[in-house]
Amino acid sequence: MAGSSTSYYFVIIGTKDNPLYEAEFGSFKQGGDGIAKFREEQRHMNQFIAHSSLDCIEDQQWASKEMYLKTVDKFNNTWVSCFLTGGNIKFLLVHDTRSDEPIRQFFADVYDLYCKTLMNPFYEVNMAIRSQTFDQKIKAAAKKYL
Amino acid sequence: MALPLEIPPRARSAMSTSKASPMYNLRSSIASTGSTTSLTSLFAGTGASLPRDIVDDIKSVIHHAFVPHIAVHVSDDVDEVVREKGLPDFYQLIRPYGEKVQGRITARDSQGSSVPFEDFAVRFVRLSDVVQKPERKGNTSGNTSRNGDYGGTNAAIPEAINSEELPLADELLDLHLSHAEELIDTNLATETESHTGQAFYLLYLRKILSGFPVTPHETWAHPVACLIAISSRNTTPIDTLRQLYKSGSEVNVPGYVNKEYLRYYVLVHDEDKDDIVKSAALFEQMKRHFGLHCHLIRLRSTTCIVSDEDSVPVAKSQWLPASEELADLHAHQEEDIESDTSSRFIHGSDEAAIKTMVREMVAQSVIPFMERNIASWNDQILSRRKGIGGRVLSFSRRFLGSTGTRSTSSSATASNFDSATNSYDPMTPEAQMRKLADWSFMLRDWKLAYDVYNTIRTDFNNDKAWLHVAGAQEMTIISLLLTGQPITPKIRADTIDVYLDAACYSYVTRFRAIYAALRCLLVTVELLRLAGGSSAELAAKWAIKALDLNMRPTVGRALISQRVGDCYAVRQGAGSGGWGGRRRKAAMWHVLAAETWIRLGKFAQARHCIDVALPKYVNTEFVLIRRFVEQMKLDSGYVNLLDLKIDTGVGGTGGEVVEVENGDEEDVLEDEDSGVEKPRFDGKRRSILIPQTPNGDAPGIMTMDESPGTNGPL
Repeated sequence: MAGSSTSYYFVIIGTKDNPLYEAEFGSFKQGGDGIAKFREEQRHMNQFIAHSSLDCIEDQQWASKEMYLKTVDKFNNTWVSCFLTGGNIKFLLVHDTRSDEPIRQFFADVYDLYCKTLMNPFYEVNMAIRSQTFDQKIKAAAKKYL
Repeated sequence: MALPLEIPPRARSAMSTSKASPMYNLRSSIASTGSTTSLTSLFAGTGASLPRDIVDDIKSVIHHAFVPHIAVHVSDDVDEVVREKGLPDFYQLIRPYGEKVQGRITARDSQGSSVPFEDFAVRFVRLSDVVQKPERKGNTSGNTSRNGDYGGTNAAIPEAINSEELPLADELLDLHLSHAEELIDTNLATETESHTGQAFYLLYLRKILSGFPVTPHETWAHPVACLIAISSRNTTPIDTLRQLYKSGSEVNVPGYVNKEYLRYYVLVHDEDKDDIVKSAALFEQMKRHFGLHCHLIRLRSTTCIVSDEDSVPVAKSQWLPASEELADLHAHQEEDIESDTSSRFIHGSDEAAIKTMVREMVAQSVIPFMERNIASWNDQILSRRKGIGGRVLSFSRRFLGSTGTRSTSSSATASNFDSATNSYDPMTPEAQMRKLADWSFMLRDWKLAYDVYNTIRTDFNNDKAWLHVAGAQEMTIISLLLTGQPITPKIRADTIDVYLDAACYSYVTRFRAIYAALRCLLVTVELLRLAGGSSAELAAKWAIKALDLNMRPTVGRALISQRVGDCYAVRQGAGSGGWGGRRRKAAMWHVLAAETWIRLGKFAQARHCIDVALPKYVNTEFVLIRRFVEQMKLDSGYVNLLDLKIDTGVGGTGGEVVEVENGDEEDVLEDEDSGVEKPRFDGKRRSILIPQTPNGDAPGIMTMDESPGTNGPL
């Protein structure tokens, strides 16, 4: 992965293992520029990792009362953190450093944004989210916490 | 290993190709407990649904890996007789017959009840093989003594620990796979399970397990018995036997190998040239001199050819070490096939005679000998060690010893461990206990073995004999898993995980013994996988760890990644949704394996992996996954009849198996033959996929050997 600064892959996965929204971004901490530095062969691996971690989430969602499940899976040097909404929509973050608290705050913001999207009368559950505003706000939240 | 009985035996029909992915069609039916609190435990209990014959395959590989070794030491005239038969030597002649001892063998376990084995095996080795390695070891210990200042105790590691078989096993599998690919490419063989599925993995496992090095920390490769043979041609038979005994005892066996093994005397009677009456008399004389462990075997010395009345092909050894099999294959390539095959036959009477000899030796001499020793060691050493007196004694010895040595020097500790050679003398209680454990393991008394390994582990630990500790940890887990007692989460966390981790650390970091670590991991992984359920997940975890041992993209690595997928596939979910299963993980690892296979140029293997993984990804909305899988399909020449089907509009609703008529097949074949530029991968494999329903239900795969494919959109 990208040298000093870390990169993140964020995906919202619907109830049928379908991605609703995807984003890649880098860290702004330690002078990062916020641009994801995944190598080309890592980019599809991110999707594979996120997809396969759903198996673990299905196990762990029953064991925890929280919606934030923390780190649910690990593949080589990448971790997967998960936030599970009441409607069984999963927020997954694939990251290469462990930091539970900022990720929790990030997920909380994303959950707000997602709820607001749900309130949109033209949006239905499991529809891909294509809103520009949503994208910008996610990126802003990432900049704030990650 | 609680196996659900409702799983039908694997059917070898066309549909059964999907058994390569048992996770998709063999759902274990799970009785719902009805309480939500036990949901996680419900998941933990699922799985364990491997078809029975696969279980048997894997178990028999593991059973047959840890078997008594019998050294073979023969006079020149015996080899001469065998050479006249057209075989290299006596050892080569009898070796294959040790792999399956005829009939049923019974052994008594520590409780005194007899246990029958249908498939007992022994391994014949040359006595010189036991000797050669210590010579090399002598060199290394010479080196370490020279620069011993910084070497410390761990420097005196015998080179032998790192079996050179490992890269060779890779190479051999590579060869086998290329061969299989060739066959598939030329349509000589259909791309069936035997060419793709786990057959190659089992072969790999067998090769890894077939060449145990002679090491101080375990006694697998130490001879249990020695077969001493002369022939009826010998003019001074009794003297020769004595000489063989003497030379056998005097050979430079490493100090840690116990020389108190059983001697078994064999008289080879040449049926064609010598007089049986004379031989019988000689045999009587032998019995008088050497006791009951004698056998008279009647072999014919003439060469047997195919056309002879009772000719049988020489059995092929399944447990050839990779190095030998490679040498064999290379030799065959150069040799004329004709001359080669003619020499590979022996008389049926000879085969029967050898089988009888092996059986008698094992049933009447070797096993009783082992039982006796196990019983006496158990009595004398283990009970004493376990009793209160032994504990006080060893404690006081240790206590006094350590205070005594602290003032003098560190070299003279009270322990029996010799840190210079990193071994125990064979007569010390520690070495004998390890031997006791190994031997009871060989006789499949897992419980006793487990107890003993457990006990000696602490002894070794006190002596800081790390290699021995690792060996004992490894065997503790393996024997525990073999006892078949249910593996609770507590055992998993406290025993298996901890010991495996420690053993791997010792092997890899302290001794750089990659071979030992890999062997330990792979055997444990297989056993955990058989246990099913969440043990299978643990198996996958450790298989991933095994991947870390070998970073280069070799055949072994590809096979292991495929195995990770298989391990995950064993863990099945509950209910129709497959909750708690690991189907996505399995699919991902199969894709990763396919990627490695493609890189290695083994396209048939890659296609197989894609086949297994595809149902999970066929409708995925992840763009990059889709693109990647598509690219892999192109690279490996995978043809997917799903595309065909959609084009023709058949089976659009999904969920039913689509039969493709074979009527046009001949035309297509002709087209293929006449076609000038035939794409490389055509005519090999076509798959019909049932499209996956959105909730992920029951996709199945059906393959056909030959079906119209040239017209397909590729």
